[in-house]
Amino acid sequence: MGTRILSVDDSHTIRLIVSRAFRDYDCQICEAANGEEGLAVAAREKPDLILLDVTMPVMDGVTMLTLLKADPVLKSIPVIMLTAESGRENVLAIARLGVRDYLVKPFKEELLVQKVGHIVPLQKKVVA
Amino acid sequence: MPDPSYNELAQLYGLDPVPESVLRLTQLVARQNADLDEIANIISADPAISQRLLRTANPRAATEKDYEITTVEDALRHNGLGCVLLLAMGTPLSLALMKTFKTMLGLKLDGVNPKTVRPFLSEYVLGTINFSGKATGWVYLRLSIEGARLIAARVLGVDPEELKDRSEVDDAVGELLNIVAGNFKSHLCDAGLDSTLHTPIVTRTTRFTIDTPQGAGLEHMAFTAPDLKLFVDVMVNPWTQG
Repeated sequence: MGTRILSVDDSHTIRLIVSRAFRDYDCQICEAANGEEGLAVAAREKPDLILLDVTMPVMDGVTMLTLLKADPVLKSIPVIMLTAESGRENVLAIARLGVRDYLVKPFKEELLVQKVGHIVPLQKKVVA
Repeated sequence: MPDPSYNELAQLYGLDPVPESVLRLTQLVARQNADLDEIANIISADPAISQRLLRTANPRAATEKDYEITTVEDALRHNGLGCVLLLAMGTPLSLALMKTFKTMLGLKLDGVNPKTVRPFLSEYVLGTINFSGKATGWVYLRLSIEGARLIAARVLGVDPEELKDRSEVDDAVGELLNIVAGNFKSHLCDAGLDSTLHTPIVTRTTRFTIDTPQGAGLEHMAFTAPDLKLFVDVMVNPWTQG
């Protein structure tokens, strides 16, 4: 089934870019448009890794991360923040909640793949 | 084990540190009781910022000879300290915009004098995003409909003709604006002006005006690339809360 990655971002554009970044890898990308949806999809799909934006409507990424880390079943899922928020206090606060890495937008797709590959196994798709 | 410092995290995550000069000036201005002379001294020591300050204080002047406000101190009194925030952060903002377009679109933007760029004569795309908190402000992005289609196609990796849905174009423009404004807001927070970024709004319009509250700073910027021109306007009003 490959590596399951959950992309939580209110931007359809970013979710498309994330899907494109992993198109050559044996990955299943699932998506959510806000933190509330993200928690529901995480509980249902049990992804191997979550890519999480900060500024989103309905429920922001910091709230989702807080609830995720308080959930005994979901708290072990590694999270990479994928956000334009790079302010010192935000980075420190988010790091304290427990994230594995932090990637500031704009980002190169290769760097995203590299950071994900350091945390979960990524297998290139076999071309028939 | 103690929590890691920001610098340790920045190194771990590969984050770009905020330039010290920007931090120094923005933190100084962010103090509501900032000393004007102290700020004037820092600005006077930087010819580029001094020139930009005097240019914004004399918006109708065609050349420096036409300036009516000629000293940094007078320009600060005329423009307000909100303007200094923009002066300090103008360069990081321009760099954030250029980096965003280079990284996500493969487009090299050149910063140009907005007065030298012809305004749009027909309906165009207007992206707006605001932030609120200790500082309040707006970032506006204006570009032609064709230009918006071009950048949406670039970011999505498709041909502009394949973009049938306007929402795809609007979402791409909104996300680019979100990235640029997010970088700007992060600098505000680092200066002590904690603010929250709101969701971008993308519309079509033929009219554009900005109401600037007293004490707010406003900066107009323009950028060009092959087949593309865009205007960026930033308005920030510091100390709107506590």
